[in-house]
This record gives sequence, C-alpha cells and structure tokens, in this order.
Amino acid sequence: MSSGWIIASVIIAVIVVPLVAGLLSGIDRKLTAHMQGRIGPPIIQPFYDIIKLLGKKPMVAGQAQLVFAWAFVGLTVTAVVLLALRQDLVLTLLVFFFGSVCLPLGALSVKSPYSQYGGHRELLQLLALEPILLLSAIPVSLKVGSFLIADIFAHGQPLLPSLWITFAVLLIPVALVMRKSPFDIAGSEHAHQELVRGVLTEYSGPYLALVEVGHWYAKIFVLSILGLFWVVGSLWWLSVIIALGGWFIVLIVDNVTSRLTWSWMVKFAWGCGITLITLNSVLIHLGWM
Amino acid sequence: MAEVLIRLLILLPIVTGSICLVVRKSEVRAGIVYLTAIFLIVSSIVLAQQWSLPLKYYAGPTSKWIVLVLSMVMLAYIVFVAAVDIRRRGVTLHSVLTIVVALAAAIPVAVFQFALAPEVPLVANPALYVDHFSLLRGILISVTCPLICVYAIRYMKNHEEHLTHLGELKRTRQPRFFFYMLVLIGAMNGVAFSDNLLWLAFFWGLTTLCAYALIRHDETPEAIAGAFRTLWICLIGNVGFSAAIILSWYSPLNTISLGALVSNGAVGYPVLLLPFALLCVAGITKAGQIPFHGWGIKAALVSPAPVHAILYPFMTTGVFIVLYVSPGFVGTQFATFLAIFGAASSLSLGLIAISQRGSISILVCSAISNLALIIVCAGIGTPLALTAGVMLVIFLTISMILLYLCAGVIEQHVRSNDVEDMEGLARKQPLLTGITMTAILSLLVAPFGILLSKWAAIQAAAVIGIWSSLVLALLMLSIGAATVFWAKWLGRILCQTPTSESARLEPFVPHYHGVLLTLVGFAVLSSVFIAPLYNAAIVPIIVGAGYDPILAFTTEAWFLRATGGVFAGWPIFIVVAIVLLIPFATMKVRPEATRPAFMCGENVEIGSDEFVAVGDERTPLMTGGFYIEGLLGEQRLDRFVIPAGVVLLGILFAMVAL
Repeated sequence: MSSGWIIASVIIAVIVVPLVAGLLSGIDRKLTAHMQGRIGPPIIQPFYDIIKLLGKKPMVAGQAQLVFAWAFVGLTVTAVVLLALRQDLVLTLLVFFFGSVCLPLGALSVKSPYSQYGGHRELLQLLALEPILLLSAIPVSLKVGSFLIADIFAHGQPLLPSLWITFAVLLIPVALVMRKSPFDIAGSEHAHQELVRGVLTEYSGPYLALVEVGHWYAKIFVLSILGLFWVVGSLWWLSVIIALGGWFIVLIVDNVTSRLTWSWMVKFAWGCGITLITLNSVLIHLGWM
Repeated sequence: MAEVLIRLLILLPIVTGSICLVVRKSEVRAGIVYLTAIFLIVSSIVLAQQWSLPLKYYAGPTSKWIVLVLSMVMLAYIVFVAAVDIRRRGVTLHSVLTIVVALAAAIPVAVFQFALAPEVPLVANPALYVDHFSLLRGILISVTCPLICVYAIRYMKNHEEHLTHLGELKRTRQPRFFFYMLVLIGAMNGVAFSDNLLWLAFFWGLTTLCAYALIRHDETPEAIAGAFRTLWICLIGNVGFSAAIILSWYSPLNTISLGALVSNGAVGYPVLLLPFALLCVAGITKAGQIPFHGWGIKAALVSPAPVHAILYPFMTTGVFIVLYVSPGFVGTQFATFLAIFGAASSLSLGLIAISQRGSISILVCSAISNLALIIVCAGIGTPLALTAGVMLVIFLTISMILLYLCAGVIEQHVRSNDVEDMEGLARKQPLLTGITMTAILSLLVAPFGILLSKWAAIQAAAVIGIWSSLVLALLMLSIGAATVFWAKWLGRILCQTPTSESARLEPFVPHYHGVLLTLVGFAVLSSVFIAPLYNAAIVPIIVGAGYDPILAFTTEAWFLRATGGVFAGWPIFIVVAIVLLIPFATMKVRPEATRPAFMCGENVEIGSDEFVAVGDERTPLMTGGFYIEGLLGEQRLDRFVIPAGVVLLGILFAMVAL
C-alpha cells in the first residue's frame, strides 16, 4: 500500500465510519419499527441523540468508569484502523476484544446493581462471541494461505462459496455486537430488554455519547468482517452488499426471536457455532470446499 | 567462569538453604536470603552475556554412585515420611499411594544399576549440558524465584504473627520454610541444566520433595492431605524417568543422555518414542494437567502465597521438559495427539477457573490452562510453535508469579482469598490495585507477550493439517474462558461505591511493592521490547534445535513477521498508553460531578451504598460475581474432565504403540 492510500484508509476508518454507522443505526430503528407496526424515529435520530447527550452536564460514578469508556472507544477505533490498513486478522480481532472487555470493566467498576448485572452478562456475551470470531479466521486462512487481510484482498476469488458455513455462524457475533438478542443482555433501543441497558446504566451525558459512538465503530467492525467474504478486485460494492445482507438477516432474526436468554446463547454459540466452523475447516482440509 | 557459575546456581541455594535451617535469628536468616538472592540475580546477568554455548560438564567416575545414593536416600526418605504419616494419622489413600509410587520409582533403577548393568559408563554422558534453552530457563528461575524469597521474608513474618495471634503457632517454622524454598531453586536449576537422566531424575524428585514440604508448611490436616496428594502424583514422573532410563539404555543408542535422545529423535529411532512419551507423562503430572489437575487445585486451598508463587515455576519445570524434548518426536502421530491433549487440558481448566472463588484457586487453574498451551506448542513442533512455547515460558513465569504475589498481599490485607471479599480494593489500596490490574491485563489482552505467544501458537497450529481444526477450536474456547475469569476478578477489585472523596495511595512496603513493581517492569518491558528479546534470546534456541529461525519470525521495524501474519506490537502499546495509562494518571473526576449509583431513586445519600427498602429501612447494597457453579463447578466438570484426560493419555500411548 502507498502512503497516500494508508492515510486515506485511516481517515475513512476514523471519520467516515461513525457517519455510516449512525445512518445504519437509524435505518435499523426505522425498519424494526415498521416490522413492529410503529412509525419509528427519523433516520438521522441517532445523530440527534448524540448531539443532545454531548450538551448535557457530565455526571460520573468514578474515575475507572471514565477511563474504561475512553479505552473502549480508543481500542475499537484502533481495531477498525488495523482492519482498514489490512493488517493481521487475528491481531486485529485481539485488539477488538481488548476494547470489548473494557466496556464491562467500566460497568463493573461501579458498585451499582444494574451495572454489575449488565457487566457480568456482557462478559458472558464475550464468552460466546470471542471464540467464534477468532475461530472464523482459521478457515479464511486455510483458503487464503495467510492471516493477513491484505492477502484476502490479493486472493482474487470470493471466499463466500467455500466459507458460507463460517459466514452463517458469524451472524451470531454480529447480532451480539449490534446489542440485539438475547433480550436479557441487549442494549439496543428496543423495548425487549431486561436490565435497562445493564452495562450502560451508570453512563450518562457526554460519556454515554462516547460509549455510543464506540458501539458504532464496533458494529462497522463486525460488518466489515462479513464484507471480507466477498472482496474481488474493483467490485468493492459487492462486499458492501454482502455485509448489508448479513446485517439485514440479523435484523429479521432479532425481531422474530426476542425472548432468548444468555445461557441459551452461550450454549448455542459453543455447541453449534464452534462445531460448524470446525466442520468448515475440516471440509477445506479434505478438499471438499 | 561460566562452568563455575552454572554449578553454583544449583549448589549455592542448597548450601545457603541448609544454613537457614540452623540459623535461629530471623535477621541473620533474612541476610542470608538477601545475599543468596543478590548472588543468583547477578550470576544470571553475567551468564546472560555468556553465549559461548553449549557448555558440557562431565562428572567424575564416583559421581555415578553419588547420584544413585542420593536418589535412593531421597526416595527412602519419602517412604519414611509416608510411613510416619500412616503411624500418626492412620492409613490414608494418599500416603499408601506415596509409598507405592516411590518404590515403583526406586526399585527399577536400583535393580538396573546395581544388578543388571553396573557398568553403565555414566562418565561418557555429560552430567550437565547447558544450551541456550536450558540457560534461559535457569536465568528465569534464578531471577524470579529469589524475588519470591525476598517477598517471603516479609510475608512469612506477617503470616506467623497472625498465626501466633490466633494461637495456632508455638514456634517459628521459618528456618524450614526458607530451607525448602532455596533448595527448590537449586533443584529447579538442576532440572534445567542436567543432561544425564540419572541426575535429571534426582533433581526432578528433589523438586517434588520440596514442593511437598512447602505445601504442608502450615501443618493443618488439609495441608498435609494436599501435600501427600502432590507428592504421589508428582512422583509418578519419577516412575516415568526410571522406565525411560532403562528403555533408552537398552535402545540401540546405549545412552542415558537427554541431549543424545533429542538429537537422534524418534523418527530415526522409533524405539525412542516410548521414553519420550514417559518423559512427557512426567511433565504432565508435574504441570498438573488433566487428569492430574487435582493436586494443584487442592494445594491452592492450604498454603501461604509465596509457596504458590514458587510452585508456578515448579509446574513450569514439567512443561519445560516436554518442550525441551519436543524436537525429538516432531512429525509423529504422538506429537499431534499431544497437541490435542494440551488443548483439551487448557480448555478444561479454563472452564473450571470460571467457577472458582478463591484468588489462588483461579490462579492455579489459569496456570495449568496456560501451561497446557506450552504442551500444545510442543505437540505442533514447528519452529514457530517452538518460539511460541519459549515465549510462553518467559512471559507466563513473570506474569503468573507477579499475580500470585499480588494475591498474597491482597489476602493479608483483606484476610481472605475469596475474590468476593476483594470488592473495593481500588479505594483502599490503589497502588496494589494498579499493579494487579497490570498483571491481569498482561495475561488477558494483546499486545502483551502472552497473547502474542497465543497469536503465534494460532499461526503455527493453522498449518499442521486436519487435526489442527480440533486443536484450534479448543484453543479459542480456552481463550474465551480466560477472558471471563480474569475480567470478573478485575471487576471485583475495581468495584467501588461512588464517592466524592479521592483515594490516597497506601504506604510503600519495599518487600511487597518493590518486588511487585520490579516484576511489573519485567512484564511490560519484555512485551514492548519483544523483537530485540526474540533476536537475542530465542533465535539461538531455534537454531540450537536445528531449525531455520526465518521459519519462526523475522523482525522488521520491531514487528514480528511470521510466514502467515504480522504482529504489530509496539504501535498498539502506544495506543494502550494513550487510552489507558495516561487517562488513569491524569483524568480527574470533579467532586461535584460525582453521582451515586442508580437504585431506582431509592438511594440514601451520596457516598453510601445503602438504599431505602420496604418500610423505609436502610438496606445495604450487596453485589457479587457470577460463578455458574451449577454448570461449570469443579466437581461437576471433573466427572467429564478426568475420564477425558485418562482417555486422551491412553490415546497418546496407543500412538506410541502404532
């Protein structure tokens, strides 16, 4: 990559990503509302929310809470930048997890009933999400011959036909990062959640806005991972369509399964998800995919 | 010079330890411990610059009899100890097993040496053989373990004051304690440097004996039971050594030199595979892998913190041997299944750790789980996997010892090692909390060295064929489990009631905070400067094992580049400094911005953790962690884990037979 391209990637990753993510979040809310027979907020409502939160007086419950919110955003942005720079996929995921674990740590640093519950459930969510995302890198590397995202781009053939099983399993972490199901963890704008956005209970005003923007980066991060399943030369819009397709499936699945619990989710992710990705790797080893 | 220093690293701690045994004045004893510590650390630094390796040291003809007599005396002493226990407390399973296993270890070697083959030319095999790997291991032991001893001077003083206060202690047991601590250091160095299997088996048994004595230090019934359990399980390793000695002597190689076995290898001499498997079983028992993990978890409940800290390098001794001999069986089916065994062990203990409430128990489970990764690396056997294994040995030694010692200080502060009781530590002991947080993060997140090693292990495992799918699935799940138990503990110590008062740093205790900060320095610096460290310390090991280091890593702008990926470590460290370190140091919360936690508007006042409940009563808020004991409790999981471990070990030996 030339230095101009590197700078352009970083700028896109840091500045354009939250704009796209905010819009996507608005569309998500609109579509969900229509599915549930409501009118829903305007599409740029997420931006209004952020602007309003930023204008509020800062109120906090402790220093650690602020630091971890800051670290969550900083590390998630770093993960997005590493992705844009086409670095090592496993390293990028590990940095993303570092960011993801900061959020529950911030919640757990406050002695507050809702925040503690939310933080612990967030950790269990990571228990489901982390192995799947990490393991999904394996069939990719088997196909491409390397863990470098740059080599996925250089591969020249779409991954989806041979890795559709892995792609399907990856929809689980996408749903989790979008804070959708299961309802007793979810932190989305939906009505179906148990703990008033548990992990975010103690955040308010500008700091809530900060965490919210961090979530936007995280969403785009996982959607971009989906997009990696169809990168062929100049047809970049195909990977966008693949990512949006995955996003739309998650949206529908979430709206028809709004009463799942965390224990079901961990068992499903470990039992089904890990088995299927492993199966995908084995099939590649056997030369059948 | 180097030869003398190497021998002193083994002998000096044993001698000074023996002096500690007879010195009654605690100040003098502390002085001896300081001097030993300084000597060991300085010699390590000197040796680190001595790269004219390998060094060989041949013992004289009488040494054969010395080592045989010493081994027999040691095993006889173990039988004696178990017999005394049977007289005092009646027949117990553990003491009987101790006698059986000790005899099973002693008799074959005695018969072999004295009757069958009295002419074994021990002199032809070097007694000590120091290559880059064993030197690195020796340096790691000789730098970190003396720090544990320095810490223990203060810790044991407090510990005994507390016990005396409770009326449980009449006379100080510290002379014995420091005797075994120092002898254990010497014996571990002995394991690292020995080449002759007879010497190796002797030092191996000696470490077990010291571990046993240290675990039973407090002389409670639980401590004694835990100590005997450790003793017989770890002695199984010596049975393995005895069998390996005889088998390798009667193999076509006619040798009992470990180096000769490894350099000839099981591919050329398939008959060597069984001795290798036996050595691996020795390592597996000592490292507390499934199905033998019971000893580590039980020992965690009973003894003082410095003992646990030094038991960590003791357990590492087990996986060190497995990794050390791994170039000897690379490319066999046995190696592949060893990797699967390690991954299964790692996941099992990671899951058990989630349900543990004691800080030391969590640490032991995570230690075993992490050590299992080194076994995975040994099984994979590529140059990159060997690199990952060596890196894990380095980084884990530093971070795990650091965390054990943190747990000890916390335990003395809150008088409990239950993680639930550590709530609010961030307010009472901010410095200690910061150190503990760094230690946990160094085990939990990239770009710290341990995750770098795991990254390298993933890269290495991806290319070993169809079984890699299973190894990697287990490995990823174990990484996921680790996130939960570490973050949960960290969450408990950070948890505090919102208040507008700012926390004050606790007084600095040199024996505690000094040692801890030194280890924090090691942990962070070794991770940041991994590229030069790799070139200086690990490349020679890869070359020594007969591989081309280009197949492991090349370093480019201090990035580590493997054939299938790049680890860009230092830029991420800069990010971590910006988003975590600097904010913790500089971000201030204005008192007027502080608000109490959300309790549906029923809070009593700011700075209090009470709420107004039924009948307007003030009720304290209580929070706690998730332990999921119903699903992941130790007893429940053991029902699956122990049979799985036995079956996997059976498969390992079936692979030897094939």
